Amino acid sequence: MSTQTIEKTQETPVRRSGFGHAVRAEWVKLWTVRSTWWTVVALVVLGAGLTTLVCWGNADWLASEQEESPGSFITWGMMIAQVCAVIVGTLAVTSEYGTGMARTTFAAVPHRGVVFLAKALVVCGVLFVVGTVTALLGYFGGNFFLDREGIGMALEGDVARAMYGSGLFLAALGLLSMAVGFLVRHTAAAISIVLATVFVIGNMVMLIPGELGDWITKLMPGNVASSLVAPVSFNPDALDAWTGFGVLMAEVGALCALAWWLLERRDA
Amino acid sequence: MERAYGMIRAQGLTKTYGSKIAVDGIDFTVEPGRVTGFLGPNGAGKSTTMRMILGLDAPTRGSVTVNGHRYASSPAPLRQVGALLEAHAIHPGRSARDHLRWMAASNGIATTRVGEVLEQVGLDTVAGQRAGRFSLGMGQRLGIASALLGDPPVVILDEPVNGLDPEGIRWVRQLAKSLAEEGRTVFISSHLMSEMALMADHLIVIGRGTILADCSMQQFMVDHAASYVRVRAPQSTEVEALLVGRGLDVSRADGELRVQGLDVPAVGELIGSHGLLLHELTLVRSSLEDAFMTLTADSVEYHAKAAEEIKAGRR
Repeated sequence: MSTQTIEKTQETPVRRSGFGHAVRAEWVKLWTVRSTWWTVVALVVLGAGLTTLVCWGNADWLASEQEESPGSFITWGMMIAQVCAVIVGTLAVTSEYGTGMARTTFAAVPHRGVVFLAKALVVCGVLFVVGTVTALLGYFGGNFFLDREGIGMALEGDVARAMYGSGLFLAALGLLSMAVGFLVRHTAAAISIVLATVFVIGNMVMLIPGELGDWITKLMPGNVASSLVAPVSFNPDALDAWTGFGVLMAEVGALCALAWWLLERRDA
Repeated sequence: MERAYGMIRAQGLTKTYGSKIAVDGIDFTVEPGRVTGFLGPNGAGKSTTMRMILGLDAPTRGSVTVNGHRYASSPAPLRQVGALLEAHAIHPGRSARDHLRWMAASNGIATTRVGEVLEQVGLDTVAGQRAGRFSLGMGQRLGIASALLGDPPVVILDEPVNGLDPEGIRWVRQLAKSLAEEGRTVFISSHLMSEMALMADHLIVIGRGTILADCSMQQFMVDHAASYVRVRAPQSTEVEALLVGRGLDVSRADGELRVQGLDVPAVGELIGSHGLLLHELTLVRSSLEDAFMTLTADSVEYHAKAAEEIKAGRR
């Protein structure tokens, strides 16, 4: 027996790896695939660019029209940025299941709840920052044209709230997409489900007659925070900003709880 | 507890998928300092067992521990158990280096280890390439690199030679042996007996979810590889009569006598003492491959039908 034999068979104290390690690992994972970079670039360009474009195109009639507020337009491009947020959140989870890498992940970090939380922290953190920055870029671009028509808005109050509100909304959508990703474990299925729920079903429920239809429309995850993400919502009936965000968090939270519960129980 | 260090121990380990039993109440212990081969035909339950060791699949019944505790309760699992799972459990868009970087980060392993293991498996020159461009063999090497990343006392490799060229196969063989010589526990699955024969010190054979053999490689040969003494003699009728007269099991095939129940010197002395001539006296041992095929014949899930069988079925 060599000296190495003795060395290897004796238990050496190992520093416990913790939540910080898991977060670092998820951070490295997120930024070492090209899809993240493409999607984030698309989010910024489309989000800020479309806001600017829409404000440029509508500034002159908004200046004469009293019924419509420019506040409904200053975060317009963020609607498209939402699609990118859904893709970032979904891919963070389903790309691992698609390649079998999920098993490597859970072998490295056997506590699945830790993986869930670490991923959520990284995805939501990135989407909040990128979303807020994109909303600000859109504001500066769009407000330039609104200013020229004399209807510019100062970056304060509801306008300022709409900036970080947009970031919060993208983070919440990312988390919702992650939860669906853990539930269905398939990229195309998860993206379709989330986009259909947020953009298609969210609009179709308006067709349900009466007060019931109004409430369902208001409470759909894609609509419930519409007062948060714009200084003036297109939908005059929408819940107020923080109530809406609270309801959204409850909806996302419930889905996350279900995803977590199943994650702990299913085979990886 | 310290005695359990480096050991993999399964007790009554069972996994069912619906009504299908993948692993059926198996018990085994894998010990440090030697290469233990985990051998069985495809679908025998090898990968399922390995996934249960790593806590990826939950046992339906029973338990399996590594280093005396469940895998999931390791303080830093990659430093205690390194595993190569099925090939390409890797995101195709991520480079080899980045794949190892996130793994190192997850267990607080120094990033200098990434370069070390890449060099050790011979991927240092392609470390920046996306893993999706790798050949099956390169993917296997990356999987082995990730198993070695945490310098763990227990190394588990699921079908490590799949897709490797002959040079790569020899490398895996030498690597497995040197890891065992360093005192590590090395647990390697394969469906190829020939590969195990060259690599393993100890064998655990599994078929249809149950353990068919758990013994040293030598013992396996003695127990399962049938042997006989081949006798060629000009007066074969007299020789046959003599041997049968001694109560030995003698059969005649291809102009030779096949004798079982006595070793080579004893057969030679017996024939010589009666003044009979001998042209050949050889110990014939069936190959390990044959032994394995015989042992697992009943437990092979999918096997090709012989042409005659198919014809017979048509009639």
